[in-house]
Amino acid sequence: MRAALARFVIGQPLGAAGALVVLALITVALFAPVLAPHGPKDAAFAPYVAPGREFPMGTDQLGRDLLSRVIWGARLSLYVGVVSVMFGITLGAVWGAVTGYLGGAADTGSQRVVDSLMALPPIILALSLMAALGQSVDNVILALVILLTPTAARTIRSVALGVAATPFIEAAQAAGASRTRVIFRHLIPNCMASYIVLVTTNISYAIVVEASLSFIGAGAPPDEPSWGGMLTAGIQALETAPWMVFFPGLAISLAVFGLNLLGDSIRDLTDPRLRGGLG
Amino acid sequence: MTMSLSRLSRLAALAVAVLFTLGALVAPPTAAQEKPRPGGILNWFDYGDPGRLDVHAESPLVVQQATAGIYSGLLHYDPDEPSKVVSDLAERWTVSPDGKTYTFHLRKGVKWHDGQPFTSADVKATFDRVLNPDFKSPKCGASLKPMVASVEAVDAHTVEFKLKFAAAPFIPSIASAWCRVAAKHILTKYGDLNSAEAQVGTGPFKFKKYERGSVVEWEKNPNYFIPGLPYLDGVKQFILVGGPTQLAAAKASKIMLWDTWPPMRKTQAEELARARTDVEVYQASINTLFLVFLNSKKPPFDNADLRRAVNLAIDRQELVAKALEGAGVACAILDPKLAGDFALPLDEVAKAPGCRPKEQDIAEAKKLVEKHHPNGLDIEVAVRQVGNYVDRAQLLLSQLRKIGIRGTLKTHESAAGYAAFGKGDFTIIATQDRAMDITDPSAVFHIAYTTQAGSNYGHYSDPKVDDLADRALRESNRDKRKQLYWELQRYLLAKGDHASIAVGWVEGWFFKDKKLRNYKPGLTVYDNNTFMKTWIAQ
Repeated sequence: MRAALARFVIGQPLGAAGALVVLALITVALFAPVLAPHGPKDAAFAPYVAPGREFPMGTDQLGRDLLSRVIWGARLSLYVGVVSVMFGITLGAVWGAVTGYLGGAADTGSQRVVDSLMALPPIILALSLMAALGQSVDNVILALVILLTPTAARTIRSVALGVAATPFIEAAQAAGASRTRVIFRHLIPNCMASYIVLVTTNISYAIVVEASLSFIGAGAPPDEPSWGGMLTAGIQALETAPWMVFFPGLAISLAVFGLNLLGDSIRDLTDPRLRGGLG
Repeated sequence: MTMSLSRLSRLAALAVAVLFTLGALVAPPTAAQEKPRPGGILNWFDYGDPGRLDVHAESPLVVQQATAGIYSGLLHYDPDEPSKVVSDLAERWTVSPDGKTYTFHLRKGVKWHDGQPFTSADVKATFDRVLNPDFKSPKCGASLKPMVASVEAVDAHTVEFKLKFAAAPFIPSIASAWCRVAAKHILTKYGDLNSAEAQVGTGPFKFKKYERGSVVEWEKNPNYFIPGLPYLDGVKQFILVGGPTQLAAAKASKIMLWDTWPPMRKTQAEELARARTDVEVYQASINTLFLVFLNSKKPPFDNADLRRAVNLAIDRQELVAKALEGAGVACAILDPKLAGDFALPLDEVAKAPGCRPKEQDIAEAKKLVEKHHPNGLDIEVAVRQVGNYVDRAQLLLSQLRKIGIRGTLKTHESAAGYAAFGKGDFTIIATQDRAMDITDPSAVFHIAYTTQAGSNYGHYSDPKVDDLADRALRESNRDKRKQLYWELQRYLLAKGDHASIAVGWVEGWFFKDKKLRNYKPGLTVYDNNTFMKTWIAQ
């Protein structure tokens, strides 16, 4: 285990750096109630206090401690990212694998549905969904699930088509295995590598979409400590309190950077053509 | 050698006269001396999309502002002297000795924008409409209905208003920017004044265009009944939603005037002053009360204890300090700066529940909430996405959490919010500024506190409030009237369970482009926005 870890760090130094950032993000998110010095919604201090000893990241326009909000923001971002991706990518993966294996009208019909969903610009689709559903964190997750599902369906379908043509699937069919058994016992487990890559690379995408929706006032409710929402508030006081933009912006950049580095490494490790790092 | 005193005086007078003459020759011309320059388009903004344009049936400022230059009133506030009521469509008016009959003599030869002649039938149709008990007229109707018994056209150019009692606020109310005269034939044709096509007035400008969410445009009325006016070729009101957009437009010189709601906050004014040297930035009151509304017809705020708890929990001083950046008068139901001695002294107001030091109030409020909801209470808090309302709402949520009320924000687009609030589709409105339509102390009570008040969103009714407001309105003796208003303010502050909660009077910063001439801010945010005498210097 230790040797494998060492090989990973040596073979994928950027991936290791990404993993470190992600680990820090998870730690901050999990221990937010302990780490945050103040309540993220408590407007208990003077507004626009510059970063200093008492408030390392300063305070916002309502006198809330920005450090506490950024810490709680990590929890919100990670929650939205992980939950939406787990549901969206899983749903899309099953959809793509099943329809790809079944083929025929089911496959053609489902692919046209995927085409129509993918034809819409993602942020416009997300905005329309949020306008219809209303502002809440759960609705952001639902909008993201709807955004992520077709992409996963398309990707996993193409993988499933390749897997379905392999001899061990033919052998399972010849042995009399039912369609359900073939799909869930043989086909989907062999698409897992692509699934894992999709999951890791799309968490950062989900975080950015959530931040973007919140930035334009269509994401998490304004009082929720969303990094995107904090950016919106910061833009209004850019000259007076630039720290209101700097710290949430930095948090988004770091989180996305770390997740992307980790995602790229996992892709490299799971792609046979690029494999070699771990031997 | 000595000079006589009279000669000395004459010499001194001569010297002064010479100095004045020289001074006048070398000094740059002032606005008053400049000859008005015709032409040009004035650009400014609406804080939101009006959606509907019926000035009699709506109450958002954007509706009044979008249509202000299109209509005329019987009377209006003088653009040159904004505190003075002067004639507009009425040339003159007389009042009967008992103060209960007002006769307005109308201008002759006035034409509507579509060429139809203006007559007393239009005035009667207008005021019959706003006074109709079945017609919801939250501004003009709400202020006139308690006072006016009937309107009669005596002849084609004379109209008589019969009052229920001699009422001091009648003339200011009839001059209100919400009591504009509409054409009878237009009301008959369209049924209301909501559409752009129905915007046919007698005002200095004609309605040119309304692009939803984008712009409202007026063009000069060449047949305006005051020859030579207006000077401007037109007015453009860009619909700019949100502080950053409005400030960006101001900094980029896209607008020439910011004398509207929401005022700039101090930090915004400082930012603008750094970006533009061609503007005059000034601080002023906007004659507007910042209120929170509770829905008294729905749980949980149908319970007087919970309304009282919210009243106690709201930290007005914090809201004024943070949301208004200190520019406002916390707690007051009437602002002494605007209502003079009709307002209860602020040191007395500061001792009232909800306004006094918070520890005692919070403890009391917590007990009231625990009595009915031992585990606290979850509510939805409604707010329109205009001005800095969302910031104010977040402060309110933070304050309510201290007494066990956990709120989640529900945001509304401006017009949709008004529609929801009008239908009573809310639990609590976190913030809603209500601008006074007249400067009389009666305005605030007929806007927010009486049963029939135009903005009684919480549908709260208290017979004692109605009685005191009505008696004060009828009272002609100023001292007695003042005592009645003091009693009313004391009653509201002490009882503390009204569904309309006053947070404070809003002040702020504004600007006008130095090239803009002959523009004087009105006493209310609704007045003097017709720009009939405004012009733009080279």
